[in-house]
Amino acid sequence: MSGKRIRLLIWKEFTQLRRDPLLIRLLLVMPVAQLILFGYVVAVDIRNLATAVVDLDRTVTSRKLEAAFSGSGYFTITQTPRTEDDLRPLLDRGTVKVALVIPEGTQDRLTRGETAPIGIIVDGSDSQISAVGSGYASQIVAQFNADRREASGVAIEAPGIDARVRVMFNPTLDPVNTMIPGLIAAIMMISLMVIMSQAVVKERESGTLEQMFVTPIKATEYLIGKLTPYAALATAQMLLVAAGGLFWFRVPFNGSVWVVLVGLTLFMFTCIGLGLLVSLVSRTRHQAQQAVMFIMIPTMVLSGFIFPIQSMPAIIQPLTNLIPLTFALQVLRGAFVKGSDFAALAVPMLALVGFGVVIFGASIVATRRRIAE
Amino acid sequence: MSGALVRMGAIVRKEFRHLGRDPRMLLAVVITPVIQLLLFAYAISFDVENVPTIVIDLDRTPTSRSYLEKYEASPFFEVVEHGSTLADVDDAFDHNTARVAVVISAGFARTLDGGGQAQVAVLVDGSEPTAAKVAQTYSVALNQLYTQQLTRAWADAQGLDLSSLGMLEPRVRTWYNPERRSSDFLIPGLMVVIIAIVTVQQTAVTLVRERDLGTQEQLEVSPMRRIELMVGKLLPWTLIAFLDVVMITLLGRALFGIPLRGQPVALALGAALFVFASLGMGLLISAIAPSMDTANIIALLIAFLPSFLLSGFAFDLAQVPIVLQWLAYAFPAQYMVTISRAVFLKGAGVADLWPEFAALAAYAAVMLGISSLLYGRRSSR
Repeated sequence: MSGKRIRLLIWKEFTQLRRDPLLIRLLLVMPVAQLILFGYVVAVDIRNLATAVVDLDRTVTSRKLEAAFSGSGYFTITQTPRTEDDLRPLLDRGTVKVALVIPEGTQDRLTRGETAPIGIIVDGSDSQISAVGSGYASQIVAQFNADRREASGVAIEAPGIDARVRVMFNPTLDPVNTMIPGLIAAIMMISLMVIMSQAVVKERESGTLEQMFVTPIKATEYLIGKLTPYAALATAQMLLVAAGGLFWFRVPFNGSVWVVLVGLTLFMFTCIGLGLLVSLVSRTRHQAQQAVMFIMIPTMVLSGFIFPIQSMPAIIQPLTNLIPLTFALQVLRGAFVKGSDFAALAVPMLALVGFGVVIFGASIVATRRRIAE
Repeated sequence: MSGALVRMGAIVRKEFRHLGRDPRMLLAVVITPVIQLLLFAYAISFDVENVPTIVIDLDRTPTSRSYLEKYEASPFFEVVEHGSTLADVDDAFDHNTARVAVVISAGFARTLDGGGQAQVAVLVDGSEPTAAKVAQTYSVALNQLYTQQLTRAWADAQGLDLSSLGMLEPRVRTWYNPERRSSDFLIPGLMVVIIAIVTVQQTAVTLVRERDLGTQEQLEVSPMRRIELMVGKLLPWTLIAFLDVVMITLLGRALFGIPLRGQPVALALGAALFVFASLGMGLLISAIAPSMDTANIIALLIAFLPSFLLSGFAFDLAQVPIVLQWLAYAFPAQYMVTISRAVFLKGAGVADLWPEFAALAAYAAVMLGISSLLYGRRSSR
């Protein structure tokens, strides 16, 4: 093992990277673009849903209910059609996502002490909006009932439930607080897999790999020299995302830095291993790119990075355990949002160790064998 | 003209031969879309039901049990664990075995019998915000409803007038997609994302590769005209993109029962315009990118990310900041997602969607125009 040879190789790698100044700039633009898009588009807090109200009752009660909806901040009443039939085109065109229908005689029913049905129509074509929108609507109606009950005076003597609903760890329920920690892990995986596999395959494509092996450099030295620049690049990208998350999106950090560092280091071995495996099975950079896509898309979908694992069908859920990113996300989100310590994160940490040993080990063995040939 | 056809035919044959020589490429453009379709359609959902819930009943009375039955009966909560101390809540939240905890304090039944307000704590783990939001709203609603029932029962027993206790009952109806299956919503949009990935990425790389390998110069000294070369290069990818559209439509119908309510012609026209727009974008990238690495990353930046995130395919654009909404207009994916979804789900035709068709057509014309200009300048150097 010679430190000098490794340093030379690292220097060569950086010189090659510098020769393409557009590439370097893009590699730094990439995480920023992802930060903005994931932070503002995926981690969006659903508010101000465009809502139509059909008030067939036209009473004090119906107006109060409308005020409760528009005052909640979740619904913005943009349309007030006269009949229910007018709703169809509004929802068809997507002008409104939610509609509230207050039937005639609602106030009369209420004052007779009956249960008065009101209609809430949600556009089911977007499952997130329909799930959250109908939840908010149910909550507003429940609150409306509670206010009426309290105003009636009966409730003072009557028994009741004093439920304190408290959200722990992420009290504002801002999705960005879980998205950014996840993005840090995702960026590392994308960066190490895409750029490193391309670099290794490029060397083979242009035939410089053979030239490399007639030099006195050893397989281990070659690997270390080749990996270090890309690990450094990935770290720079992660720092960029972390800084953007903490200072721009103001994501709270409740945990220990050590948990994050250990988790990311473990996950880095898995990512490097995957990148090497991709470069081993690909003859051209084009193939390497396809192989990366082949791994990336299931990873993005099944890890819970964007789509909650909880919402997947029961048959699919076990598959998520085959994805290394799933566990990296558990560690990072646990540390950021919940402030979890090593004991609480033992299972995902051990899983990352397992993936690291298997994937990194396999890639090293296979690469050495390939080099020895 | 016939000479041009022969020359273009030669390029098309050459491109297909490249594909045929590399069976994995064929796999990538034909099998990968199918896998993506299955993955997305089965795995993606924001529907929240059966949030795992731990209950801690420190009262252990028939009254507390009947209160807890409300959670068991609700589709939004699934009681997975009965704990005995508050430490069980920490444990369940730490290990993600439960996301909601309902804690009934001792004396629950006694307080209610005495006409008091019995305290219940509902703790929601906020680290999964969508599930937490749904759990929070429905637990508030559930408790209000339960209180309402208690009040009515009490007032009835006291012989009081119930007239002040009328209540509203929300009846939620879900239009377009009553079972709230996400696949109906996602597959028409997914088609757009898949076409964007296949076409932009492949065309972006194919011309750069030609340059890298030095075969570009060989093509230029051939009698081939620039436009013939471009058409010849683009035709195979157009065909493959259409193959993907047909496959996704058929699979979507056969496996997931996605309705195709509108005119297939409208879908085909939209797909054609979108494919041209995407191919134009790919050509543009290959004209400006100095190397394959840069071409790859630019393709990822302006094809994959915007079509995935700024198309409205899974994320509602009305909810994002206004600057990003403007940005979304600069990419063709959003128009195609609107067309695809409207044709599949809402039975729309060309007449209903003319603004989107016009936007796509303009986009395709501009992209192909600019890229052929840039490309010409580059090769005439």
